[in-house]
Amino acid sequence: MSWTQRLNFALAAMLATTLILPNLEAQSLDELHKSALKEGGTLNFYATLAQINAEKILPVFEKRFPGIKVNHVDATSDKLVARAVTEARGGKTLGDVLQVPLENVSQAHDQKLLLETTLPESAEYPSGMKGTFWVASDLQFIIAAWNTNLVKKEEEPKQFEDFADPRWKNRLIAEPRDLKMLMGFAKYKFNSDEKAIALWRRIAANNVEFHSGHSQLAELLVAGQAAVCLTCYSHHYPTRIKKGAPVNYMLSEGVASINATAIFKNGPHPNTAMLYARWVASQDGQKAMAQGGRTPAHPKVEPVDKTRTEKIYPISVADIKEYPRYEKIWKEIFKLR
Amino acid sequence: MATAAIPRTGKMTLSLDPALLIPVVGAGILVYLAVLPLLMLFVGSFQAEVAPREFVYTLKNYHAAYASEYTYSTFLNSLIFASGSAGLGFILGTMLAWLTERTNTPLRGIFVPLAVVPLILPGVLESIAWIFLLSPKFGYLNVWLTNLFGLKSPPFNVFSLPGMIWVHSVGQVPLAFLLMVAAFKSMDPSLEESAMMSGANTWQTFRRVTLRLLMPTAGSVLLILFVRTLESFETPALIGIPARIYVYTSEIYLAFNEYPPDYGRGGALAVGLLLLSAVGVWLYTRATKEGKKFQTVTGKAFRPRQFDLGGWRWVGFGFLTGYFIFVVLLPFLVLFWASFLPFFAAPSWDAVQKLSLDNYRYLNGFRPFWDALQNSILLATLTATVAMVLTSLVAWIVYKSRLPGAWILDFLAFVPITIPGIVMGMALILLYVAFPIPIYGTIWVLLIAYVTRFIPYGMRAASGSILQIHSELEEAASASGASWWETFKRVTLPLLRPGLVAGWIYICIVSFREFSTSVLLATGESRVLSILLFTMFEQGQVTVVAAIGVLMIATLLSIVAVFYKFTGKIGIQT
Repeated sequence: MSWTQRLNFALAAMLATTLILPNLEAQSLDELHKSALKEGGTLNFYATLAQINAEKILPVFEKRFPGIKVNHVDATSDKLVARAVTEARGGKTLGDVLQVPLENVSQAHDQKLLLETTLPESAEYPSGMKGTFWVASDLQFIIAAWNTNLVKKEEEPKQFEDFADPRWKNRLIAEPRDLKMLMGFAKYKFNSDEKAIALWRRIAANNVEFHSGHSQLAELLVAGQAAVCLTCYSHHYPTRIKKGAPVNYMLSEGVASINATAIFKNGPHPNTAMLYARWVASQDGQKAMAQGGRTPAHPKVEPVDKTRTEKIYPISVADIKEYPRYEKIWKEIFKLR
Repeated sequence: MATAAIPRTGKMTLSLDPALLIPVVGAGILVYLAVLPLLMLFVGSFQAEVAPREFVYTLKNYHAAYASEYTYSTFLNSLIFASGSAGLGFILGTMLAWLTERTNTPLRGIFVPLAVVPLILPGVLESIAWIFLLSPKFGYLNVWLTNLFGLKSPPFNVFSLPGMIWVHSVGQVPLAFLLMVAAFKSMDPSLEESAMMSGANTWQTFRRVTLRLLMPTAGSVLLILFVRTLESFETPALIGIPARIYVYTSEIYLAFNEYPPDYGRGGALAVGLLLLSAVGVWLYTRATKEGKKFQTVTGKAFRPRQFDLGGWRWVGFGFLTGYFIFVVLLPFLVLFWASFLPFFAAPSWDAVQKLSLDNYRYLNGFRPFWDALQNSILLATLTATVAMVLTSLVAWIVYKSRLPGAWILDFLAFVPITIPGIVMGMALILLYVAFPIPIYGTIWVLLIAYVTRFIPYGMRAASGSILQIHSELEEAASASGASWWETFKRVTLPLLRPGLVAGWIYICIVSFREFSTSVLLATGESRVLSILLFTMFEQGQVTVVAAIGVLMIATLLSIVAVFYKFTGKIGIQT
């Protein structure tokens, strides 16, 4: 074989890897698409995805796989898991895919509702972003945000320690279930439970007002219910700022939590479920997530909006096991029930 | 079914005779609709899950529900919420009724329909509108009053127990108003006249005669308002849960919707709420029967006399105007205004520049909205039709058939009035999730839920009409050789039509606004408008919610317009 022949061979091989391999992968998704169509073309999608995100992301999937319609059952994550548990109690599995925060996915797993499977697409994810029954769909950053009418330019916070200052008294709102903040600070910011607890106690002394639901918190902040939201999601802000809402947010530090995709065991449309799970984990799906306003989990896909914080305190799978302990402390700090 | 002897036809037959078959089928349907879910609920309240899907029977759910550290606060919150709302709703409703019915307040006539308008405002929207108005920092009324009087802190906070009481009670005022109007209308004026003749002034007469005559009615109206508040879930969901003020209905909802779902505890709470509500309804029916002792309606023709308020009549006028502007008009206006905003903002020049039709444009291309609208319209019309057909048959059996045991049907058709919406939702989930026919998660479960809940309303409408039809008309048809079915179809039904139409439209309206049952049953494809509003509000799309609300009110107003055209009056079935 002459060197030109060898070069040609090498080029052909490279072409094959760049062209044929993706094709093979795409082909298998397309094959899956065919099997999915035979199941009736519906995907029962149990997901916390807010409407404003869902209406941009799901049509991309429906367009990519014609004939598949997503029946999006949306509610808060604990409601969705509770629903799945209730259905299982009646001997039924009605959901195909569950896409909620990892701690809720792991609750569903405790209830033996989820399929153990490794998707080919998950190979590209780092080990903390996948498990035996899940793969990350996107990341959520819990950050501080403020109303620009109520917070002067010079008093804008730089880090969470700032909120211990008495000038924030009666000006703070937060979500009652965000104990991840305490946990993330204890494990990754301070590496010390005591320091984290001490900081949150000082913040609690400023009389934090609690409201359930992050979207509602964001909306309350826009309306001016409080000057600062202590535990808001970063991805809620770029769209609101674009619309001209008087808000800004702090990206210097934040706690990151994983949203995960999992497939229900014995769901009504197993191939459709697999198709969606693989698609959303793929680069295409992750790009759609980014376009839809979420922070993609795929290491090679960048978010469209500025949602990632500089310092990230990531809640890991192992951390979730310690929830009950931190929950107790969190509730005690803020006198929550 | 073999029947031996049927007295009405006198025929000895072994065939399926509708005259007996229909009562039995009717009873079967009612048992299936009203009793079976309650049975499931009751059984479920004694079950505990020891491992995923492994159950044992236990009493510990009742312990968890009624002996936890939160039992007392929930009980107290519920009690304050229900009695506060009942009291305030009653006072406002009675004031309105008295001023418009029994005094010479200027322009009182136009306030009668205006007082009833809020009936059509769905509870979810009512709560949302008041959140817009009374939120401590950005609520319009708060901002306005704070600026006007230079206050240091906002005067109102909707996210509090008094806030919940206010929001819920203004929703109850129309009902209190209608019931009290009826009471004022039917009052014999001779007693008041005697008092006046004996030298009592207006105030003394009102206090010592009018008020006392009203006592029995007032008691029963208060009771029904109390029970309805206890059963309600709109305000507890939209204001109570975010403010972390929990009442029975929200505890039941959370027991079902938080992880791990605790059906046992939820069931035990639901059984308690059901009993409370049943006792309330029982007392109510007893009170209204007792009320006959104080009968003031006689065959004598009379017009209740009007009190001359003198100069005070302008105070009355001020009260009516104030009530109309602040309680009826303002919630509508705030929703209307918000529906044109990109995000919620206080009225300002800046906000005016941001006004646009974007939310309505958005809805135009928003599939879940159209799906939910379609489901809501389909369910409202189907529920009304099924409920009216069923109840006209049942009412006919109860009042016309003279069958022994017909009262059982009457009783069964009354049972659902004691079932709080959220309890019904919970019972139906437990029943249908394990049911062989796969209707769980579809709109058909909602249809069953709505029909069951609104059977008592249908019964009111149907029995009222049926009692007015003399049997001789049907007997004539029967004597002329018409079969039972032909008689029903060609004689009874046409005579019933006006009453049935009124009942149909009323059930249409209440189905269209239904929230507390749907909140547990409607998901994904079976979602209805009220639930879409709730989820979208939870997700923070509050101005789109306002736009949906405006469209929803427009739809309801058009139903009411039809209602008005058909009946020519505004009525109420409780």
